[in-house]
Amino acid sequence: MSEATHSAQSRKMREGTWRDMMLANGSVVSIALFFLVVCIIFSVATNAFLTSPNLLNILRQSSPLLIVAAAMTFVITTGGIDLSVGSVLALVATLSATLLQLGLPWPAVILAMLALGALLGAVQGYFVAYEGIPAFIVTLAGLSVIRGVALLITGGYSIPVEPGSPFTVIGRAWFLGVPVPALIALVILAIAYLAFNETPFGRYVTGIGANAEAVRRAGVNTRLMTLFVYVISAAAAALAGIIIAARLGSGSSNAGQGFELEVIAAVVLGGTSLFGGRGTIVGTVLGALTVAVIGNGLILAHLSPFLTPIVTGTIILIAIWLNFRLFRGAVRSR
Amino acid sequence: MSSGETYRVRMSGISKRYNAIQTLDDVSLTLKPGEVLGLVGDNGAGKSTLSKVLSGAVIPDAGTIEIDGMPVTFSSPADSRAARVEMVYQDLSLCDTVDVAGNLFLGREPRRRIAGISFLDKKRMHEQTRQMLDRLGIVIADTRLKVEYLSGGQRQSIAIGRAASFEPSVLIMDEPTAALAVAEVEAVLDLIRTVSARGVSVILITHRLQDLFLVCDRIQVMYEGRNVAERLIGETNIEDVVNLIVGRKFNARSATNRHRDGAPA
Repeated sequence: MSEATHSAQSRKMREGTWRDMMLANGSVVSIALFFLVVCIIFSVATNAFLTSPNLLNILRQSSPLLIVAAAMTFVITTGGIDLSVGSVLALVATLSATLLQLGLPWPAVILAMLALGALLGAVQGYFVAYEGIPAFIVTLAGLSVIRGVALLITGGYSIPVEPGSPFTVIGRAWFLGVPVPALIALVILAIAYLAFNETPFGRYVTGIGANAEAVRRAGVNTRLMTLFVYVISAAAAALAGIIIAARLGSGSSNAGQGFELEVIAAVVLGGTSLFGGRGTIVGTVLGALTVAVIGNGLILAHLSPFLTPIVTGTIILIAIWLNFRLFRGAVRSR
Repeated sequence: MSSGETYRVRMSGISKRYNAIQTLDDVSLTLKPGEVLGLVGDNGAGKSTLSKVLSGAVIPDAGTIEIDGMPVTFSSPADSRAARVEMVYQDLSLCDTVDVAGNLFLGREPRRRIAGISFLDKKRMHEQTRQMLDRLGIVIADTRLKVEYLSGGQRQSIAIGRAASFEPSVLIMDEPTAALAVAEVEAVLDLIRTVSARGVSVILITHRLQDLFLVCDRIQVMYEGRNVAERLIGETNIEDVVNLIVGRKFNARSATNRHRDGAPA
C-alpha cells in the first residue's frame, strides 16, 4: 500500500514541478521564440544584420531601453506604472548639457543627474505609495511637468556638449571591443536580475503586486518598497538620459518622446503582467532586444522606418495573445 | 483542572460600539493552554469583532485583556503578535505568485550576506519549509510550487502553518474550513488538532457546527454582541448549539447572563 501511494505521490511531484516550470517560464519561452524568429528573418533577408558591428550597434543603441526597461519591470511587477521615464530622460539630457556648458566637472554632473532622477522618482513614489493616488495619474502628471521643465530651460533648442569632453566617453567609447553604453547596460541588467530574483526586496516587489495586504501584514514596509521602485525607475531614466546626451553630443528637450511606451512595450512583451505579481527580468531583456532588432532590421532591409511601430505593435498583441491562450488560461483556473 | 490555574487568555467586560450599534456588550472569553475554543453565533453576533480585539485589529471601548495572567493593551496587530497571538485571515495572507516557501517565510526570509548585501538563502528556506510542513503533517509535493496552483485546503494549510510557525501561544482562525472540499476540511481539522497538541490555544470561528464537535474542547455562543452560553463539548449536542445560536432560549437564560464563570461543571 505504502509503495503505491509513494509512487503516486512522487509522480505527482514530478508533474507539478514540470507544469510549474512551463507555466512560470511560458512567457519567457514565447518571447524567446519571437526574438529568434525575428533574428532569423533579418539574418536571411539582409546581409548586414548578422555581423558583429551591427549586433554591437544594436546593443549600443538599445542600452537606454534595456536599462530603463529593467527598472520598469520592478515598477510594473508591483502593479504600478511609470509614464514619466521619457520626460526624466529629456530633462536629464538637457540639464547635463547645460551644466557641462556652465563648466561643472563631468563626474559631478553625472552624480547630480542621478540624484535628480532619484529625487523625481521619490516625489512621484511618495504620491503613489503614501497618498494612494494611482500611479498612472501621478506619473502622467510627472510626464507633463518634467518635460515642460526641460522645454522651459532650453526654450526648445538643443544644447551642445563639447565634442572633446570626457563626458562623451559614456556614450561613444569602446572598451574591450564593446561599446561602453552596452557595458553599462550589462552591469545594470545583472544587478537588476540579482535584485529581482535573489534578494528580499525583489521578493517583496512580487509580493506587493500579488497581495500587498499580505506583505504588509508580514511586517514589511510596503509603502517604502513601493516608493523605492519609482526611485529606481527614475534613476534608471536619468542614467539613460546621460548616455543619450553623451552619445548624441547634445541635450535636447525633445529627446525620449514616446520612450515610456517603448519601455512598457518591452516589459509587457517580456511577459511581466500589467496587473502585478508576475515579472521577469530575462523576459524584459528579450522584449527590449526584440523591439530593438525590429527597428534595426527594417532599416537594414531598406524598408520604411515607419513600419517599425506597426510591426512592434502587432508583435506585442500576438505575443500577449499567445501567452494568454497557451499559458495564462491554465493558471487562472483554480 | 485546578481552579488556581492561570488562563492563557482572559478577556473580560469587552465592549465596543460603532455609532448606534453595540457590537460587543460586556463580553468575556477565557482560554486555557492547548484548549480549542469554538466561537459561534449568527452573522453580526460579534465573534469576528471579538477576535479582532484579541488580535489588535479593533480597539475596544472598555474591558481588559490578560495573557498568561498579565494585563495587556493591544493598539495594533503588531502588539498582539508581540504577545504571541496570531490570527489566520481567510485567504488574505498569501501571495499567489510566490512559492510555498516564500509565503511561509514572507517577511522573515532566511538571508545570507555576500559582500554586505543580503540575499535570500533559498536553499535553507526550502529545507526549513519542508521540515515545517512535515512537522505539521501538511502534504504538499513541492515547496517551489506557486501558491496559486494549490487547492483551497492546501492554501488554508499554508496560511495556518505560517501562523503556527511564529510559535504562537494563541491562534485565532476565522472560518478556516469555509469553501473547502470534504477531504480538505479533514486535513485542516487534523492540522488544528496537531497545533493544539503542541500546546497552542486555538480560537475557532466557524459556521460549520459539525467541525466544532470534531476538534473543540469547549464552545462559546454569542448573540447580538453578548455571550449567551458556554458548553463543554461533551455536554452538548448540535441541536442545543443551534438553539443557542438562533436565540430561542435566549430569554430564559438572560437572567444568568450577568453571572459568568469560566468552567461550568
